Amino acid sequence: MPGFHVRDHVDQALPASRHHRRLLLGLLLALLGLLAVALIVLRQPSVTVGPQQTVVTVNPKMGVHTRLTDEVEEWKIKRTLEMVREMGAPWIVEYFPWAYVEPDRPGQGQWEHSDMVIRHASAQGLQVIARLGFVPQWARPKDTSPLYLEEDNYAAFGDYVYQFVQRYGADVSHIIIWNEPNLSLEWGYRPVDPASYVEMLRVAYTRAKEANPAVQVLGGALAPTLAPPGSEWGMDDLHYLQAMYDAGAAPYFDILAAHAYGGKFPPDEPAAADAINFARTELLREVMVRNGDGAKPIMITEGGWNDHPRWTRAVRPGRRIEYTLAAYDKALTDWPWLEAVALWAFHYPAPARTYQDYFTFVTPDFQPKAIYLEAQRYAQGKEN
Amino acid sequence: MPRAKRTKLRQRWLVMAGVAVVLLLAVVLLLWQTVGIARDRVWDQIQTSGQWLVGMDPSFPPFEDLDDAGRPVGFDVDLARAIAAYWGVEAQIEGLGFDGLVDAVQAGRLDSAISALPYQPERTQDVAFSDPYCEAGLVLVAPVGSSAIVSLDALAGQRLAVEWGSEGDVQARLLRRRFPDLVLLPSDTPQAALLAVAEGQADAALVDHISALQFTANDARLAISPQVIVSDPYVIVLPRRAPVLQQKVGEALQALRADGTLDALTARWFGATQD
Repeated sequence: MPGFHVRDHVDQALPASRHHRRLLLGLLLALLGLLAVALIVLRQPSVTVGPQQTVVTVNPKMGVHTRLTDEVEEWKIKRTLEMVREMGAPWIVEYFPWAYVEPDRPGQGQWEHSDMVIRHASAQGLQVIARLGFVPQWARPKDTSPLYLEEDNYAAFGDYVYQFVQRYGADVSHIIIWNEPNLSLEWGYRPVDPASYVEMLRVAYTRAKEANPAVQVLGGALAPTLAPPGSEWGMDDLHYLQAMYDAGAAPYFDILAAHAYGGKFPPDEPAAADAINFARTELLREVMVRNGDGAKPIMITEGGWNDHPRWTRAVRPGRRIEYTLAAYDKALTDWPWLEAVALWAFHYPAPARTYQDYFTFVTPDFQPKAIYLEAQRYAQGKEN
Repeated sequence: MPRAKRTKLRQRWLVMAGVAVVLLLAVVLLLWQTVGIARDRVWDQIQTSGQWLVGMDPSFPPFEDLDDAGRPVGFDVDLARAIAAYWGVEAQIEGLGFDGLVDAVQAGRLDSAISALPYQPERTQDVAFSDPYCEAGLVLVAPVGSSAIVSLDALAGQRLAVEWGSEGDVQARLLRRRFPDLVLLPSDTPQAALLAVAEGQADAALVDHISALQFTANDARLAISPQVIVSDPYVIVLPRRAPVLQQKVGEALQALRADGTLDALTARWFGATQD
């Protein structure tokens, strides 16, 4: 009977369709399961921190300024810090921009990247000098640079300093407040203002000590410059430091951060008020002594020599090695008031394709330059 | 017409309409691309004005420098003029800091930049680069007839002079891993390293090609290896959206190479030819 046949067909088709649906559902669940497993696996750290290391060196004042702010991949952060340790430098200066941690609002707390840097630096046995600055958009007027901070927002910056110091405790023993405030471009393209910087230092210092009384606060980090009085570009660093003391800075920093670029001159080129060279650091110290602050140490948190083949302030590569090693040695033997020399810059994430590339110790693909190998030999106490 | 047939017909029409739209889009894209290639405002401007605006930093002799009268002189200056002459226009040289040249081309402030500039793979989204016009990488230099200039293997047990701290030094240290008995002799400059070979204190030198050309031009005792150990080619920087100019620069370089102009410039400024 035709009707029977139709009914028979439907009876057979229904279980088959149900079967397909079940099969599809099963496949979907299996796929979801696989996806969940993949997500869990991906969330696992792919780079291990590794065992605790120590830096072996004959010169405990050796240091470098790393450039990990723009380094995304964890293995590169680890490799950079491993290579610093293997070179024999116990100190690093690294930048921790406020705007990266709290990009949209106060208390946002995006600490993942800085946690990663500190974790690996600690594992490599490195002492971190953390440079703090770079203002998020919410803490400054529209169309201003991230280096622009008004006094009304010093308290918000102080909160960031407090959180940073509290979070990293003993892993970050030193912090630098701001960078090169004696240059207009580093002061948000405003006329520089030593008294206002001292107020920033006071707020930051107070908050840092609230978080960890043992943390050492570095002030200054002044750019060596011979800017004439009234220059729109900046203020002579020696004058600026005096102006800082005049504004009552002394109680609000434990160590002076200095920048010491050698230009074409050797590190033992005598210091002079009208010359920019490595020994200019001695003139900063004289200002400190004159202001009754001679017991306070100095740390060089930027500096060094450049061997670009065509930059007018560069030297030949061999001369750069010679001057760099002599500078590390000078810090150790001649300058008891100097605690560390962190030279600019260890490694860039990518080539800058400017003279800046010729400040580095290691190429972007982690090939050690000759200066790295010679600094390593020096740190191992081998004769050059 | 039965309903099922009507539906089927409608579906067929929809598919055909979809295919037609895709084909139409493809034709439009192809036309746009073709028209785009044909248009090159930079090249048009060069043709209209008769001037090719070339940027360089005249502080890197013998590639570019200023003479006593403040006029730009050097290999790159002559190259720019030779290319411009090949097109029947004039090269207008614009002095600019080395670090800003690529950005100036990208921003349209210059038509091109010729300033001993290396190829920069990370900038290929911003600008275009010509074929290399000069090789400035590392080469071995050894006495004429020495096996060191034929094969790297011949360096085993030899004395190799380098400029201390240079890229040649880095590469020599790597070579020493391969030949542990290779003796490295660091010098203050590439010229001092080459002199050490000339005077028999070293068996070979690993230096940049330009220093090697300049030295061997005046010392027939030494020869340059044909093999470049580490390449560092210099290229011309061009606007990315100037396909005609890019093509014309390529053609000009080929022609200047073929007619011996590049060799003549090399001999004039480095004292010897690159081949």
